[in-house]
Amino acid sequence: MKKITTILTVLGILLLASCQDFLDVKPSSSAASEESIMNAADAEVAMNGLIRKMTSSSYYGRNFVIYGDAKGGDFAIRSQGRGLDALYTFNHSATSNSYYGFWSQIYNIILQANNLLMNIEKIEEAGNGTAALEEYKGQALTARALLYFDLVRLYGKPYNMDKTSFGVPLVLEPLDASAQPTRASVEEVYTQIINDLTDAAPLLSTGAKDGYLNYYANLAIQARVNLFMENYADALAAAEEIIDDGPYSLYANEEWVGSWSEQFGSESIFELGIYPDEADLGTGSLGYYLLRLGKVTGAMGMFMASDYWINRMSEDLTDVRWGIMDYDESSTERFGSCLKYTGVDLTGDKGSRSAVNIKVIRLSEIYLIAAEAAISLPTPDKAKAATYLNEIRKRAPALTPADETTVTLDMIMDEKSKEFFAEGLRYFDMIRLNRTIEFNDEFITPAVVIIHREKTIDRTFFKIVLPIAQEEIDANPPIGDQQNTGY
Amino acid sequence: MKKLVFIILSVLFVNAGMAQTRVTGTVTAADDGSPVPYAVVLLKGARGVGTNTDADGRYAISNIPQDGVLLFSYVGYKTQEIPVSGRTVIDVVMQTDALALDEVIVVAYGTSTKGTFTGAASVVKADAIKDVPALSFENAMGGKIAGMQITTLSGQAGSTSSIRVRGIGSMNATNEPLYVIDGVPAISGNVSQMSGYIYTSSNVMSSINPSDIESITVLKDAAASALYGSRAANGVILITTKQGKLGKPVVSFKASVGLTPSFATDNYETASPEEQVRMYYENFWNAGVYAYDWTEEAASLSALNQLNKRFNKHGYTFSAPDNTINSLTIGGERAGQYFDWDKVLFRTAVYQTYDLSASGATETSSYYTSFSYTNELGRSVINNFNRITGRINFTQKAGKFVEFATNVNVSNSGKEGFNDSRSTGSNYFLQSRNLLWPLYWPTDYLTGDPWTSRFGSYAYNPVYYNDQWENSSKTLRLIASESVTVNILPELTLKSIFSYDNTNTADHLYYSALHFSGANDNGSITETSTNINKMVSSTTLNYSKEILAGHKLNVLVGWEAEKNLTDYQRSSGTNLPTSALHTVATAGKLDASAYYWGYNMLSMLSRAEYDFNDKYYASASFRRDGSSRFGENTRWGNFWSLAASWRIDQESFMDDVDLISSLRLRASYGVNGTLPSDNYGWMSLTSYTYRYMEEPGSGVISVADPNLSWETSYTYNIALEFGLLDERIGGTIEYFNRDSKDLLQDVRLSMVTGFSSMLRNVGEINNHGVEIELFGEIMKKRDFTWTAGLTASHVKSSVTKLYGGQDIIWWDPIGDDNRARFIYREGESTLAFYGPEWAGVEDETGKNLWFLNNNDTPDLTVDGRPATYEYTRASFVVIGDANPWLYGGINTDLTWKGVGLSMNFAYKLGGKTFDFAGKDVNDDGYYWERIMSEWAYENRWTPEHTDAMYPQRVAIDMEDVNQRSSRHLHPADYLRLKSITLGYTLPHDVAQKIKLGSARVYFNGANLWTLAAWKVYDPEVSEYGTRGWELPLGKTYTFGIEASF
Repeated sequence: MKKITTILTVLGILLLASCQDFLDVKPSSSAASEESIMNAADAEVAMNGLIRKMTSSSYYGRNFVIYGDAKGGDFAIRSQGRGLDALYTFNHSATSNSYYGFWSQIYNIILQANNLLMNIEKIEEAGNGTAALEEYKGQALTARALLYFDLVRLYGKPYNMDKTSFGVPLVLEPLDASAQPTRASVEEVYTQIINDLTDAAPLLSTGAKDGYLNYYANLAIQARVNLFMENYADALAAAEEIIDDGPYSLYANEEWVGSWSEQFGSESIFELGIYPDEADLGTGSLGYYLLRLGKVTGAMGMFMASDYWINRMSEDLTDVRWGIMDYDESSTERFGSCLKYTGVDLTGDKGSRSAVNIKVIRLSEIYLIAAEAAISLPTPDKAKAATYLNEIRKRAPALTPADETTVTLDMIMDEKSKEFFAEGLRYFDMIRLNRTIEFNDEFITPAVVIIHREKTIDRTFFKIVLPIAQEEIDANPPIGDQQNTGY
Repeated sequence: MKKLVFIILSVLFVNAGMAQTRVTGTVTAADDGSPVPYAVVLLKGARGVGTNTDADGRYAISNIPQDGVLLFSYVGYKTQEIPVSGRTVIDVVMQTDALALDEVIVVAYGTSTKGTFTGAASVVKADAIKDVPALSFENAMGGKIAGMQITTLSGQAGSTSSIRVRGIGSMNATNEPLYVIDGVPAISGNVSQMSGYIYTSSNVMSSINPSDIESITVLKDAAASALYGSRAANGVILITTKQGKLGKPVVSFKASVGLTPSFATDNYETASPEEQVRMYYENFWNAGVYAYDWTEEAASLSALNQLNKRFNKHGYTFSAPDNTINSLTIGGERAGQYFDWDKVLFRTAVYQTYDLSASGATETSSYYTSFSYTNELGRSVINNFNRITGRINFTQKAGKFVEFATNVNVSNSGKEGFNDSRSTGSNYFLQSRNLLWPLYWPTDYLTGDPWTSRFGSYAYNPVYYNDQWENSSKTLRLIASESVTVNILPELTLKSIFSYDNTNTADHLYYSALHFSGANDNGSITETSTNINKMVSSTTLNYSKEILAGHKLNVLVGWEAEKNLTDYQRSSGTNLPTSALHTVATAGKLDASAYYWGYNMLSMLSRAEYDFNDKYYASASFRRDGSSRFGENTRWGNFWSLAASWRIDQESFMDDVDLISSLRLRASYGVNGTLPSDNYGWMSLTSYTYRYMEEPGSGVISVADPNLSWETSYTYNIALEFGLLDERIGGTIEYFNRDSKDLLQDVRLSMVTGFSSMLRNVGEINNHGVEIELFGEIMKKRDFTWTAGLTASHVKSSVTKLYGGQDIIWWDPIGDDNRARFIYREGESTLAFYGPEWAGVEDETGKNLWFLNNNDTPDLTVDGRPATYEYTRASFVVIGDANPWLYGGINTDLTWKGVGLSMNFAYKLGGKTFDFAGKDVNDDGYYWERIMSEWAYENRWTPEHTDAMYPQRVAIDMEDVNQRSSRHLHPADYLRLKSITLGYTLPHDVAQKIKLGSARVYFNGANLWTLAAWKVYDPEVSEYGTRGWELPLGKTYTFGIEASF
């Protein structure tokens, strides 16, 4: 008995001595957040993760790009129910098709940016700042600006329509988990975006950095944002700096179609790398969504060009941009199916049909921003507008180049529609410019009438913005009182 | 163990009585006439006069006074007192004694007897479950134990069951009980990682051959379970496997074959093909005429276009000369013929199992070995399961004081062709009840070639594509446990157990380049391996002594350490060279991942039991657990219990009450807990799984409360156990109350924070209720007995407190398809469905109506309440409760000579089920092909049928049906004949003539009869009260034989 007691006592002591270690079990593919960013190398890894999250299907990986075209009148659908058609039909409510993936994904990336910025500040406060860290700080600020810019356009009215209306909650540092943030005004959000961009610009390097944000990407975002704020002079200045000083060049006409089979081409100012086994969405990729139904196994023909876009393009049947179009399921004569995200030969930019990079900002857009800004200045500079427009317009060789007497905003917008079909810009431009958007609903066959919107809408329609999802309101009741009107 | 004690005791006996006569005889068992070896024979009133029967049940005992009384006893049988009355030969037939208070039951860290145990525990013996064709023992236990609710959601071979003991005590953390096999906590639940790819589950308990199980004890209250501390709040299930019995070696063989030709109930039975076509036409015609103001001609043309576009290629044409449904005609090459998919998607399931076991024991060692093979071809044509198990249980005494015991279980099981996902592609059950399926054919009518392009709604031809994909899951499980028991002193025993439980699951998923899921990658293959290691070491010291006359004391102290480590590896390949080779090695492109996770526990435990005069019992237990699933501040928790019981029947004032043969009151109070299911829930983590352009990438993935703590349950329990008329009627009535505090839940966060949820201690739940177990011997004649039993449980389970008061909205976690929305709200049920309240259909228009449940301006009133046409205007309210009011079972056994008939019913009364699948066969028109069931056809609104339950079909983009509303709630009540067994046991002498120890043939029918309040689908739904597209249960007819040599 005594022996046993002794043994047990000894065992007990050993046990208690070693138990602290025994009960420390750590995960193997993650680590405690407090210690994850300690130096520039960690910051680099965090930045990789941040950009990777931008490639999510809920964001640039697919849905955000589709959003910008499905709602803008350039896309048509042939049949309902194939996928994401609620974007086209505006079938949204707080509980059905709220597409809160935009909200949750973008705020998650904002958290990554804020976390990185907070940690860089900590390292710098401890006196361990480096040039590399400054660069990541610039990238994180630029990313945050782009994230807020996209978010405020999804949920808030256009800046030039009602900038005092609700924008989105403005969060600049990691929040307490119990926070219930409410919405800032559209104007406050835009102000922050401009601040972040101008703070970031001097920190960024000017060389091309494939797959990441650099100084010129920052300027390009500045050009976009200023256009939306109608700060045309600033937009023009940013655009011209890129055009004049940036390491980018426009594709020649004979290169244009091939550019969709190459990654990081000469026009790419910000391009997201979509690699196999990373953000590759397979048959759920942007490329598959746009391929003709049954063209390859798994292709569903979700979206194709509307009659209006095809008519616009048909001004010049020799337009080089026809080269990226394929006939669609309605007829072998109707070239409504877009191959921008698969390449013409369906092997993408690195052999895969679905792991294909997404070009977020191209130099062509900068030319058209410059053209639009120039023509929209208080004192329009039409000559300049025509010059920039023609650089893109020449891709339709049969069309007469514009000149200072013929150039119009409509020509610039038409050019942007042709050049950026399926690149997610159209809708935002249409509501920014207060244009009427007409949908090609007759193309749906057999005919179906859409009940959630009229055939034509303009920006007075309450559904030009998405609802705040019920899921957000459940956890954040105060924001329920700030729901977008109409929902 | 108990038997060994008997032997030891009998060895110690000396023949000390007055020499008068010698008595001999044979002891046999009443149930099968077999001899009872090693039964104890004692002379009443004389200390130490006794013997044991030999292996053939024979005994001889000398020096017995002629007026003496002999006591015959054996575990599991009623003790008999037989006056010698001058005889020299006394043969005894022992009666089984299911409810005897001295029945030995396995409890936490030891054994006890029913009459002395102070906690709430129920026992199921092997006999009660052995005839049910179940891959896993849980499937055979429905309705057998009061307070235990077992749900088997899927009829797929190898699916997991879910067990709830006494309601719901957790929110986010598991509500599954702890499983303990032969004294060691075991790996339980779903072990496959396939759920990331396909909705399925792999029940690891099916790695235990039900035939190896001797008994199952369910520990229900804190007194019974607190010794398992932090994992005991949801009850504990103790599984004890068989041991060899003293006597000649017994070799047993059992074979059974089960056939499942049909489902147990109707399940969304489809309308006829013609009716389906009519609904489809009507859908578009209505849209044209009612929604868009088209002419009948235009509406008809639109509807016919839809049909023709979809089905011309399948050999059908459609016309309606008068532009209405009245003239709708189906023509074309295949007119009048429809493909019967049920014939190619389903088959008669065949279940076969073969068990062979050998067991025996001598006074120094015992062994039980078994080998079993089971094979099941499931209802769905590609779904199979097979299993091989082997077991060796061996005990060996080394010298007088030390005993070693080794239990080894090896099992290898495999299943393939499973998918319960809500998918029109690979879920046959969904396919066969959806999509105008009879008009799709597996062949092209023009060429006769296989149809390879998609059907509507992304469905495809399974006859062709079955060969283009495959999935399988193989589980190899090894449990080895070694224990050493040292009898240091007669009253002091040291027991040390070391156990290693290793489960390795290898999952395989393949899509050929021709399959829709593999085409983009030119074929893909994924292999995953999940290796779960559980190592448990425990040492207990047990002191048991009658310290003073009438004062018995039993004290247990010990410690336990547990280490759990799961290694996960995935390798996958794409770009496959040939459809013949389905291996990663042949792939052109490879990808891999591997990581691990785990948790550890460290515990100290103790218990004291006190028995005064076999009349008053008291016990107390204490356990201290440390778990790696918490941060340093909250890592250790204390759990304890107190209990007492009183054998009222032992009191002298009860002597005259002949009616009551036993009466016992017991009560307990205690504290136990629940661990979070998340290993690292207390840590804020950054994950390194976001690689970008082949560079590593990180991201913050979780925010945590570092002071996250245990869920703690405070339970009290009061029970009255009684036996009447010499135990012919018996039962237990039990009341319990369990307050669970600091419950863990993933609380939704404002997504603006960057997180969607976080694990927190959020609130409190109360479960209280009454459980009744009754047993009665209705008739007992010489060869005929009729017994019946009843279990009933009424549990009220509600949320009593939410810290901060804010409601928590959550979703049914099953199937990852958000099938039902629930709310935790103070005062509401723990399974409170939450959503808009459907007000039915307006008779005049056939439109959906919704109760507003807010102060907005109503569009109309329904039953005097404000209502609206727009679901978006209706506020969410609690619309129903999934918890039943009463559930349990009824069983009855008839035996006449060797023939036995037993029936076991399970029932559930009250509560609601949420029909998530129903929307797929009862759409309002937007999802055009979801318009298929006979139920929907008969109950839809038409101008001729305005008093309808469901709205008019209109092909406009309505989302009403997709709301998680009260429209999909149905009554849950049912009564089901879970199993019926008819068996015949050969008389012992006949069996012996053909050189058999015993022989029995039987028939078992499972789920043969069901009475349900809602008849559209099988009323046995998930533990959350929800019904999805899981393959329903079938009716199984099993034929079996058992023999021992």
